[in-house]
Amino acid sequence: MNAKVKSCAVAAGFAVFLSTFCFFQAPSWASGPQQIEAIDGLGRKIIVPAPVRKIVALNSDALEALRILNAQDRVVGVFSQIETDSAFWGDLVNKPKVGSWREPNSEIIAELAPDIVLAYAKTPSPEWEARMTSQGITVLRLDLYKAETLEREIRELGRVLGRTQEAERFCSWNSQWMNRIESEISGAPQRPWVYVESYSDYQAAAPTSGGHEMVVMAGGRNIAEDLAIPFARITPEWVVTRNPEVIIKAGSFSSGYGAADAVAPLNKRRDGIMNRPAWSLIKAVATGNVHVLDSSIWVGPRAVVGIAYMAKWLHPDLMSDIDPEALHKEYMETFQRLPYKGAYVSDPAPEASGK
Amino acid sequence: MKTDSETLCRGYHAQNRRKMVLLLLIFILLLAMIATGLSVGASSVGPVDALRSLFKDTGRAHSIVWLLRMPRVVMAMLVGFGLGVAGSVFQAILKNPLASPFTLGIGSGAGFGAVLVIIFLGGSLYPQMIAGSAFVFSLFSAFLILGVAKMKRASSETMILTGIAQMFLFSALSAFFQYMGTMDQVYEITFWHFGSLAKAGWREIGFAAAMILLPFPFLMRRAWDFNLLATGDESALALGVEVERLRMWGVTAASFMTAGCICFTGVIGFVGLVAPHIVRMAIGNDHRLLLPASGLSGALLVLTADVLANTVWAPHVIPIGIMTSFIGVPFFFYLLMRRTREYW
Repeated sequence: MNAKVKSCAVAAGFAVFLSTFCFFQAPSWASGPQQIEAIDGLGRKIIVPAPVRKIVALNSDALEALRILNAQDRVVGVFSQIETDSAFWGDLVNKPKVGSWREPNSEIIAELAPDIVLAYAKTPSPEWEARMTSQGITVLRLDLYKAETLEREIRELGRVLGRTQEAERFCSWNSQWMNRIESEISGAPQRPWVYVESYSDYQAAAPTSGGHEMVVMAGGRNIAEDLAIPFARITPEWVVTRNPEVIIKAGSFSSGYGAADAVAPLNKRRDGIMNRPAWSLIKAVATGNVHVLDSSIWVGPRAVVGIAYMAKWLHPDLMSDIDPEALHKEYMETFQRLPYKGAYVSDPAPEASGK
Repeated sequence: MKTDSETLCRGYHAQNRRKMVLLLLIFILLLAMIATGLSVGASSVGPVDALRSLFKDTGRAHSIVWLLRMPRVVMAMLVGFGLGVAGSVFQAILKNPLASPFTLGIGSGAGFGAVLVIIFLGGSLYPQMIAGSAFVFSLFSAFLILGVAKMKRASSETMILTGIAQMFLFSALSAFFQYMGTMDQVYEITFWHFGSLAKAGWREIGFAAAMILLPFPFLMRRAWDFNLLATGDESALALGVEVERLRMWGVTAASFMTAGCICFTGVIGFVGLVAPHIVRMAIGNDHRLLLPASGLSGALLVLTADVLANTVWAPHVIPIGIMTSFIGVPFFFYLLMRRTREYW
């Protein structure tokens, strides 16, 4: 065999290999309408019709994830609470509303005839899902708010939507920052005690809640780590007794994306915590280490930003090179394609800023 | 004849003494529970430190007792007292054993007021506004009952039916806004409806005390009239009681007491219904004793529930609204089963 024939054989072999590789790697619906298998947030195998052209998003985490994957143009229906932050969602606010994230209107969804409905893993109910399935609508349950499963779920959603590149891009950005934070705080001599309060006063975020998970990732120890229920009610006296070094309160407190004085409600909340009766006895209050964090960077696709802020509050010396606000700005501009606006954490407390 | 009269008198006085002893017993139990409430908590401040801190500034222990435990104990007593008296008054003027501030929709009205602030103004950012709105709506629901009653000559049936109707209306409105709420708001609403004494500070106590204690002398002055009302509207009228006027003022006073109780603490629903029944079984239907006894037993019930709520599963706190039912219902059943005759 001469060299020309050899080159042709190698080229032909390479072409066969490439086509075989592409056949297995490309989205299974690339060649036409098919089905694709996905693993949902409950670990179930779900058969999704492909290609997915029409999506109903039942919650803000799902909608934000769709924007990360640049698939917002496929959204045909949204949750009714979207109007609470209309500046952030832009044109998506004008999409048909399908009701509450907990119990959406089956009839409106059926009329929109989406290919998939994105819902949380455990909400709405299985009965509602059965009603959707009986209409030929696939429900894909993904939480998209838990830091530990976020990347897997984003990749899964990206695969279903044929947006694997966008999913990979986000996941590598997310894991790069998570690893960087982990590496920065790994040298910490000790993990400070933290009290994490949920939206309601005197309601501690305990194990199995997203808040507990974030404290651990940020290099802290949750004073509620031994409590048995995820959002446990506790007494003010118990917090005084546990004497945390840092207090973090999380919830939907911000006036929204682009609001004129977005930081004011966050600061008001922080002052309220610092002025609680007898809480001046707590180390965190005495040192001004009390912070309020908006739920948009708490759990959800932007959890890494929240974790960066928390790590900075817990380990200011080790995290001096990381600017959480710059990280947030990068996320907004790169993955949401929006200019960075708004306030998401309270200002440093007066006692702390003076030191 | 004289002997019979003397026997009757002796019997009457003996019965009164028994009632006074029972009242005293409730009072002593209440004092014991106050001491317990001030002595137990998450910190290491025990009975001796707590006692010392009451009279002397001992630093940390003094702050814990005066700023955390004492407000809780005082608010628990005020709320229990107010709900107990209000329940007793509602049952007397409506002549119905099921009447209470909550079965008349006043609690649901307060709940709706709280829900409005949580949904539209950002909830726990404005705790005073939640309390204010709950207060306004509880009074609004009371005045709604009074308005309808006024048009229909204040019959007890009209008042009860109006109360039940508005209870369903306000519950439905609350559920509607809850349905529309975000996850955070749903949590906040749920916790408000569980009831809590944790947010009780001295400022709140001052306001609640005024609302709860000021109407009490007025109600005590009308205790005889409440007794006569039990004999029926016609006979009460014949004996000089202005029945319609008494109902209107009674509902107004009891509603103010209820509003003062629940606007800061959320729903603690069971006390107003059951505290009056518990003491009625023991001391009868004489409102001169029944009103203060209902108040004291309500205070004892809420305070006991609060102490248990904070200790049985510490550091978790069992919501006070749940705990009052846990301890009150079995006790109520026990008394009910022991009775050999109708007491109402």
